[in-house]
Amino acid sequence: MEPNLGTIVRSISIGPNREETGLESLQFREEIHRLMTVPPENGSSFTELLQLPETQAMELLHSAHSDEVVPVPLSGEPLHGINDDHKSYLPSFNGNLTFPSNKVLIERAAKFSVFASGEHSPETSSVPSDSSANLEKVKSEPAETDSNPNSSQLLVSDPAVNIKNQRSEKRKEREKKGKGCTKKSKIEISQDAEKLPYVHVRARRGQATDSHSLAERARREKINARMKLLQELVPGCSKTFAMQISGTALVLDEIINHVQSLQRQVELLSMRLATVNPRVDFNLDSLFAPESGSLADSNFHSMVSPLLWPEIPFNGNRQQHQQQWNFDALHRPLWGREEDNHTFITMENSLLNYESANSASLHSNQLKMEL
Amino acid sequence: MHHSVSCLSYTWSFSRSSDGPTEPRMRNPSLIKEEFLKRWIIALRRCTSLKKNMNILERNKVVKLSADLAMASARNGTTSWSRALIANATRDNDNRILAEQILGPESEILVKRVSTMPFKTCNRRKIRSKRILKRSCSSAIRRVRKTVPRKVLANCIAKRLIQKRTHILKSLVPGGEFMDETTLMEETLDYIAYLRVQVDVMRSCTYC
Repeated sequence: MEPNLGTIVRSISIGPNREETGLESLQFREEIHRLMTVPPENGSSFTELLQLPETQAMELLHSAHSDEVVPVPLSGEPLHGINDDHKSYLPSFNGNLTFPSNKVLIERAAKFSVFASGEHSPETSSVPSDSSANLEKVKSEPAETDSNPNSSQLLVSDPAVNIKNQRSEKRKEREKKGKGCTKKSKIEISQDAEKLPYVHVRARRGQATDSHSLAERARREKINARMKLLQELVPGCSKTFAMQISGTALVLDEIINHVQSLQRQVELLSMRLATVNPRVDFNLDSLFAPESGSLADSNFHSMVSPLLWPEIPFNGNRQQHQQQWNFDALHRPLWGREEDNHTFITMENSLLNYESANSASLHSNQLKMEL
Repeated sequence: MHHSVSCLSYTWSFSRSSDGPTEPRMRNPSLIKEEFLKRWIIALRRCTSLKKNMNILERNKVVKLSADLAMASARNGTTSWSRALIANATRDNDNRILAEQILGPESEILVKRVSTMPFKTCNRRKIRSKRILKRSCSSAIRRVRKTVPRKVLANCIAKRLIQKRTHILKSLVPGGEFMDETTLMEETLDYIAYLRVQVDVMRSCTYC
């Protein structure tokens, strides 16, 4: 046990502070028994906790994918609540009575779990390993629930696991500071020295979940990378830090506003188009034929401009198209080629009958070939 | 405008090169616009060939539907929101015929691909598990409010904000309720790019 713990302690100290230490659900009960005299949390210790509970929240969001969001706020509550609960109850050790909800969840997880071993008395050992296996399974198949029992079991076991994880996260934070691997740990080193025997316990949990924590970190980094991308994509969003929770919330807010405004614009524009065109027909597929890949916006605008001839009858259309096309050819050397204009016009004649969808598809095929 | 264009190209290249789906995607936003416009026009023409003299509401619906389906078919089922769009379009029977006409000859392939995606498998289970969680967590919540350090409180408030906003975003992006967070971000990226293309194309159509 000791060499394992030593390796784990080293790995924990090496890792960055805002690790998802993942699923330290293994010796939770043992820890309750041992940590009867946990000193109260200091204010500075929560700066570490700020990081990890966020990741736990993200993990919840991730792992509860099959049942998306409504239980997540619920589990947000018990995460927070059971933390304080844990702290307040620890000095008076009511370890068995403290977390009946957790026990209920554990029992449910044990019942639902496909991987549950036969005995339930070593619940702590079996269920956390089950849930860790479950969570591993969640990570391996992030976007799909392959079968319903799996999804339900994942659903129920994950909040339990995550509740336990958060509590153990906090203790792990204290332990980390005790090892002096964090920046703000100088005050708590003396206090955490007495926890050194507990360090080994927690370290062992960390070992069993190291792969999980790595996967968690990878996932977290992916999410942050994409948040950064979204930040760049959405205008007016570049200054907030995406790493903090508040930064993430702001970025999400901006993204939501942007998507909503874009959708509203689409609605507006489609209404306008519907009113402008008494006949919703555009006869400029031939527009696409000469286009090269590099299409500047101005060119695009001017190319789209011949689109709008809805009110003009076909003959007049043709005439004006010819004129327009010559005009455009003069102005934009990119695609102004006389022979192409002629070919467009001939194609247009064939394009101008809209009686059958077959003809439309034929024309589209011609266009594709020409492209 | 150019900023958005560059952002579009940047995001598309980045997200596709990292670990996206293996199908090749267009890196050039103007190419995207061209493709979208072409498909949209084809779809519109197919619609109008079906039924002339629609009133304004129908035209509006036709315009939107054809635009959606055009872009979704351009994605060809590689992104989740496109599948969701097609699934939504083909779900109601009155739209279904129209949508299938718009999609054209390749509609059957697309619809088949869309329907085979494990899309909405877990509604009932969600509701049941939600109830279980509510019951189990309510007792825990009642015991909570003893000594709540302010930073943890702020932290949890921020977390809940994020969860709320993620929920809203999931309702905005089509097909977003069933994704995990990572794919939600990807889909949002793609969806924003598509919305931008759509807005640009439609705006240049109306203002010329």
